[in-house]
Amino acid sequence: MTLWTPTDDGHADLSSHDAFAQGAPLNTFARLRRDDPMHWTEYAQGENYWSVTRHADILELNRQTDLLSSARGIRIEDQSYEEYLARRTFQETDGAEHMATRIRVAKAFSRPVIAQFEQVIRDICVDILDHTLPKGTFDATAEIARQLPMRMLGRIMGTPDADLPWLVAKGDALIANTDPDFTTHVLDKMTTDEFRMMPFNSPAGAELFVYAKDLMARKAASGDRSGILPLIMEPAADGSVMPEHEFRNFFCLLVAAGNDTTRYSIAAGLQALAHQPELLPLLQTGTVWDTAPDEIIRWATPAIYFRRTATRDFEYHGKQIKAGQKVVYWFLSGNRDETAFDNPMRVNLARQNNRHMAFGQGGPHVCLGMWLARLEVRVLFEELAKRIAKIEPAGDHKYLRSNFVGGLKSLPVTVTLN
Amino acid sequence: MHATWHLPNGKTVTAEVKSGLTLMEAAVAHNIPGVIGECGGSLSCATCHVVVDPTWSTRAGQPSAFENDMLDVTDADRQPTSRLSCQLRMAEALDGIILHVPG
Repeated sequence: MTLWTPTDDGHADLSSHDAFAQGAPLNTFARLRRDDPMHWTEYAQGENYWSVTRHADILELNRQTDLLSSARGIRIEDQSYEEYLARRTFQETDGAEHMATRIRVAKAFSRPVIAQFEQVIRDICVDILDHTLPKGTFDATAEIARQLPMRMLGRIMGTPDADLPWLVAKGDALIANTDPDFTTHVLDKMTTDEFRMMPFNSPAGAELFVYAKDLMARKAASGDRSGILPLIMEPAADGSVMPEHEFRNFFCLLVAAGNDTTRYSIAAGLQALAHQPELLPLLQTGTVWDTAPDEIIRWATPAIYFRRTATRDFEYHGKQIKAGQKVVYWFLSGNRDETAFDNPMRVNLARQNNRHMAFGQGGPHVCLGMWLARLEVRVLFEELAKRIAKIEPAGDHKYLRSNFVGGLKSLPVTVTLN
Repeated sequence: MHATWHLPNGKTVTAEVKSGLTLMEAAVAHNIPGVIGECGGSLSCATCHVVVDPTWSTRAGQPSAFENDMLDVTDADRQPTSRLSCQLRMAEALDGIILHVPG
């Protein structure tokens, strides 16, 4: 039960993906929050970096984009400037450049536009649950958590259902590129030099580029206006349209980021229901739907960290940070911070004023898809709560081998239907 | 200095706001429901939408081009005096400002 009572010795190597393979080393984060909130962290594969672990510190720094830039890479791995230019999406931009893209895509992901998808989401949830729950015992990640965001991705982008498994496999290869179950090009285990100019250092990025280009051409030729891509391709106020390279990068980002994050949020929520038996009856009272999705997402925190780079020297908690050094915001640690959350190691579906940072709250890169994620989580658990009397663990769950994406890659459960 | 928020449920909250603080930060500090400020004031989320009382709109000023664009993606419909409260900074001219939180 590593999540509820972490078992790491408090001195885990945060740079090691293996240190996260049995669940995140939360005792280590707790120690750093207490004793060394700006921690110089060893990184054998490249330059060392600063680890920021307190909720309040992440909030304070995340908004200071002139001091801590996204435009030198957002993962711990080092990259050259030419690699950065070739691979970047708008996640890896700052200031006016970021805003220009953000505004182009914000409408499509705004709460009112996303709210229109509720019935579509509900229909998919009903289909998934009615197909899966009668099995009794199954892998909840594969059968439920993976299915909903994958199928919604198809609706959002207006892609053929037949393409979805391929797209999701490519997205997994991009994001979970340190877990051998998801890619044959394990980032820290072999040389990926051949792919270093491709998004996420991966051949899957190159394949998605080609797919995106074809999709755009097909949609233009057929006049297909399904999903949200037409909103994104609409000319901006100044008449400009999103350039092709920007669209391709954005498409990769949608496939990669919009998929596994929601998957692992749902999986973590299902795991919580299976381990804290009071949660399902509470959901069934119907009184916590306003708060439950955010608490499930706090609990999951699938995006464990994002990195920034200092643009000038500064001092923080008595440490001297130099221009060019990497600074990592450990959002997972912020979401377990005792000073920001009562009883952070328990799931409290009625948690009020839940200022979690699973969406990277506090800065301009706050998750574009947060309204979609919340809606998918709410509707899935609403439909689940209607159908089952009990959900229990049915064997060992397995975590992804990654210090970047936190998630249960398998979650065997047994359900009892109503 | 202080500001007043009229909530959708008819309640009113008046709170002290230090000069220089944004009205989003003040609302978050006072747990004003409906003003969230997910992006910390970076004009990326539109979750700190308020409608400035018409009696204050001139003093509150006009939104910038980016803010104007983001006001088109708010949850509640935009009103003529809608603003993102992360862009309203408390100063003498805004002491006593009245804001309406859209329902």
